[in-house]
Amino acid sequence: MNKKRLLSVLAFVLICALLLASCGFEGNAIKPAGGDNRTFVLAESAEPPNLDVSKSTDEVSSRILNNTMEGLLRQDRNGRPQPAIAAQLPQVSKDKRTYTFTLRNARWSDGKPVRAQDFVFSWLRTLNAKTKSEYAFILFPIQNAEEYNAGKVSASQVGVKALDDSHLQVKLKFPTPYFMELCSFTTFMPQREDIVNQYGSEYALEANRLIFNGPFTLSNWEHEASFTLKKNSFYWDQRKVRLDRVEGKIIKDVASTVNLYSANRLDFTEINPEFAAIFEGKSDRTVIKEMASWYIEMNQTKAFFKNLNIRKSINYGIDKRSLTKRVLKNDSVPAGGLMPTHMKGDEKHKFRELSPDTVLYDPAKAKQLYAAGLKELGLKRQPDRLEIVGDDADSSKKQMEYIKEQLRKNLGLQVEVTAIPFKQRLQRGKRQQFDLLISGWNADYNDPMTFSDLFLSGGSYNRGKWSNPTYDQLVRKSMTNPNDQERLADLMKAEKILIQDAAIVPLYYRSRLGIKKPFVKGIYWISTGSSYVLKETYLDWKK
Amino acid sequence: MEKESFQPIQRNFLSYQRLERKQVGFWQDAWYRFRSNKGALLGAIFIICIMFFAFFGSSFSQYDYYSQNLLEVDQGDSAQHYFGTDSLGRDLWARTWYGAKISLLIAFLAVALDVLIGVTFGGISGYFGGRVDDTMQRVIEILYSIPNLIVIILMLMWLEPGIIPIAVALSITGWVPMARIVRAQVLKLKSQEFVLAARSLGASHRRIFIRHLLPNTVGPIIISVSFSIPSAIFFEAFLSFIGLGLRPPQASLGVLVNEGYRYLQLYPHQLLWPALLISLIMLGFNLMGDGLRDALDPKMKR
Amino acid sequence: MTFYILRRLILMMVTLLLIITATFFLVHSLPGTPLKNEEKLPPEIRDQILHEYGLDQPLYVQYFRFMGGLFKADLGKSLMYDGRDISQMLKERFFASAFIGFQGILIGLIIGGGLGILSALYQGRWIDNFATSTSVLGVSIPSFVLAGLLSFWVGVKWGILPPALWGSYAHTIMPSLSLSVAVIAQFSRYVRTELVEVLNQDYIKTARAKGLSKAAVIWRHGLRNALIPAVTVLGPLTVNILTGSLVVEKIFGVPGMGALFVDSIINNDYTAVLGTTIFYSLLIMISVLLIDILYGWIDPRIRVAGRRGE
Repeated sequence: MNKKRLLSVLAFVLICALLLASCGFEGNAIKPAGGDNRTFVLAESAEPPNLDVSKSTDEVSSRILNNTMEGLLRQDRNGRPQPAIAAQLPQVSKDKRTYTFTLRNARWSDGKPVRAQDFVFSWLRTLNAKTKSEYAFILFPIQNAEEYNAGKVSASQVGVKALDDSHLQVKLKFPTPYFMELCSFTTFMPQREDIVNQYGSEYALEANRLIFNGPFTLSNWEHEASFTLKKNSFYWDQRKVRLDRVEGKIIKDVASTVNLYSANRLDFTEINPEFAAIFEGKSDRTVIKEMASWYIEMNQTKAFFKNLNIRKSINYGIDKRSLTKRVLKNDSVPAGGLMPTHMKGDEKHKFRELSPDTVLYDPAKAKQLYAAGLKELGLKRQPDRLEIVGDDADSSKKQMEYIKEQLRKNLGLQVEVTAIPFKQRLQRGKRQQFDLLISGWNADYNDPMTFSDLFLSGGSYNRGKWSNPTYDQLVRKSMTNPNDQERLADLMKAEKILIQDAAIVPLYYRSRLGIKKPFVKGIYWISTGSSYVLKETYLDWKK
Repeated sequence: MEKESFQPIQRNFLSYQRLERKQVGFWQDAWYRFRSNKGALLGAIFIICIMFFAFFGSSFSQYDYYSQNLLEVDQGDSAQHYFGTDSLGRDLWARTWYGAKISLLIAFLAVALDVLIGVTFGGISGYFGGRVDDTMQRVIEILYSIPNLIVIILMLMWLEPGIIPIAVALSITGWVPMARIVRAQVLKLKSQEFVLAARSLGASHRRIFIRHLLPNTVGPIIISVSFSIPSAIFFEAFLSFIGLGLRPPQASLGVLVNEGYRYLQLYPHQLLWPALLISLIMLGFNLMGDGLRDALDPKMKR
Repeated sequence: MTFYILRRLILMMVTLLLIITATFFLVHSLPGTPLKNEEKLPPEIRDQILHEYGLDQPLYVQYFRFMGGLFKADLGKSLMYDGRDISQMLKERFFASAFIGFQGILIGLIIGGGLGILSALYQGRWIDNFATSTSVLGVSIPSFVLAGLLSFWVGVKWGILPPALWGSYAHTIMPSLSLSVAVIAQFSRYVRTELVEVLNQDYIKTARAKGLSKAAVIWRHGLRNALIPAVTVLGPLTVNILTGSLVVEKIFGVPGMGALFVDSIINNDYTAVLGTTIFYSLLIMISVLLIDILYGWIDPRIRVAGRRGE
């Protein structure tokens, strides 16, 4: 290679580097990705494994089901259950254990009526152990449901009965204040026995092996690539449905999704915090509130974290406000407790309004507590090789880096970050192979119990093995307590104990970020934040 | 024409003889050839510079690779932060050079393992020949047809994250080409007179292998190493991209490129420096590899 | 020759068996279960579902059951996408991967070959410099960086091609281009080296001296002899394409094998991991075999049977 040639090689490299550095981003004039106001195009980050009401567990399936199917009730934009396939809210017996639903004159997408038997069939199918449903346990408030799932009683003994084609009676094991919330959950949707039998093991694996009773039908499903929803002409409330088509594109890399959005090929997508800055202050930015709580569990089978002062010092030693504002940047709310901000309290108030939380952060106090803890333990310095374990997603890694640095700066505590795939994180948690564990819980329904029962002594989600008899007693009592007011007070007391005893270090109540074009109107998310509702969505775009 | 076509062979033959007698001559010759290859020299200079900064770069700046300052996030380059800061307010100058160090460490470690296993395996296989060779060759053929990516990802799921696990995972299939090269070389050499001479003088297998065969395979090994190092760096970057590997805040160039890639639209400089550095390391090793091949394997000289 | 191929085929079967066995025990030793709702499932119910899937049986029983299915050409059903046939899934995914892969190799061979020939013919001129720069850059830039930049600039800023997604021919261009760069780089270097060597051979000089035109000499003698060794790089190139396609598919949202493989590992989908591993291994083994046979066929001086192990 001679000198001249080398020079030109280098020049070429340099030009490329300069190109890379010099180009900024210019926006295109916005317009709907589908070309007109009738088609809505959105992106999903994963392929739905299947759309079987009994088996579906993931969010993408839940979103498709929420928009193609309808249960007895459906949540409105305020998270309240409203009549859907049921003509009105159910009649509840005095002991709060029997619910009777009257069905409206609704139809399946082949024109056949939706009957009470379709619900009975669906729920019993989910509970049948042979179905291998991983969400069957959500039906357990129903009388004998758990026993049937375990094979101890027969199907006919389960407390769900079709009185006739349009009347459904449900008997519960205990009074369950959140049963109406459950009725809008995907697992509680109906299924058609003839369709399930017709396709057998192929049921719900393709678009044409399903039947629908919701606002849209699934008309096309190209695995790993896309799915298409079309307006359902048999839907009972179709007057309100304003979109003709919804196209879902499946794409895993968020950077590419953002590119597609910027090139006007998507109208809506969720994004990661890394991309938040691009849309900072723009009307595209949409916050999706989840009913999710994230916290650190501390391994209390180890002497170091058995010490209350050490546990407390960790809580005081992490600045959660900076974490949400500067690291996560997704409008998550810094947490001082366990119950997320929009968790239901009584009829009128949110839980957090009745029992406000205090976000703790005080480096000086943290140092004090830490020193006191070490002294109590008779230690001169921390144990070697402490590990903080969490998921290996980009944003989760960043969070752990932040926490590591906070503990180092504020306490002088050195921890090692172990970022591992989700399944490994679960196993580590289950086997107490961690010192600090970043955990989160997404509510299945809008009631404090979905969080409170996590930290019962010996509970399988209580990975830090924290244990407190008063807490156990309060929560166990609330499980069957028909007195709503007393129950709520008990659960509030329980949460206070949890925080005072530093069972966990609350981090934040999570929100997710989305970007949607300004002309997208009327879209909303159900209260747990897991699914959007497109029933009344429309595009308001003018040239 | 007839005369001319004979003469070069004569000359070559003579130099070959001399070369065998005096090994230093070969290396001097190689060094001369290498030095006269401008590209190779430039590659070597690149690598030396990058290694210098990777190990001492952090002392040019007051920052370390892990300290965060959330009030100074995503900054451009300035007199304080030569390469700007990342989304946690960490100094990118320190992080980039630290990343280069980790990338190089992983690559060196992985390649060292490759050489160790490859030379042993290939050497034994080639030296003893016969049935031993046959069996060992089957093992190589099997390993050769396993998709290395699958093995690496599976191993990383299995091992704890960290530098050593990545290096181990990379070398699980990485040593195979090395073994093939060494075996071919040993096969060629062992039938030559100097080996026969050594053997008839009563040298042990070990002595023959280490003193006589190994030094003569060094050339091809060095060439192969100079191409394996960039490919290991490449692979590591690739693993980081799918999220497998190190313990944060440890960072390799791959991790930094992956992070920077996400901020491409707003802060292209976060991608620029690590991507440029990866490219320069690759460029350096590739240029040097070319030069080494020309220098150590004169037959390949174009 | 027939004997040689037969021997290779038998070895392939043995290799495959070993790979399957190793992968089987490796994936089953990964932490966690393949269940999707593992985080929320109460332990008793989790055990019950595992029982229904037969995943609670001793590993060797599961192994023999899987092998039994394999002999009936049944790869089993996916656990992550429950109920879907693995073979069906592979069939669906393979098309996309193969399409962008082959197109990538093709583009690479044509452009790379062209650049290689040009730079060999005009050594030291600007075209040679250009080709060398391209090839050095091509091997120096990670494919995912390149794919990301392409998607952003060509797809968003210039708006010429769709930045991602799958569906029309236009969607295949950028993924194939991203894959082809590495091929261009390696192949052009290879062709250049080989051609330069061949052009310095005596018989080329003879041919020129005989009065044949330069083009004819290159076409009739030079190229043919230079391309023979170039065929050997096809094997490693195919394997490289496989690796590259994994990220490229992710970035461009191509519904291919790469995504399936990574997802199935992360989700402990044992059957899908095994299915893709078997598929990839077969692909590599067959392409290596074909190239070996091709090599012997193009260049009869090399007896395939005599190339053993070299």
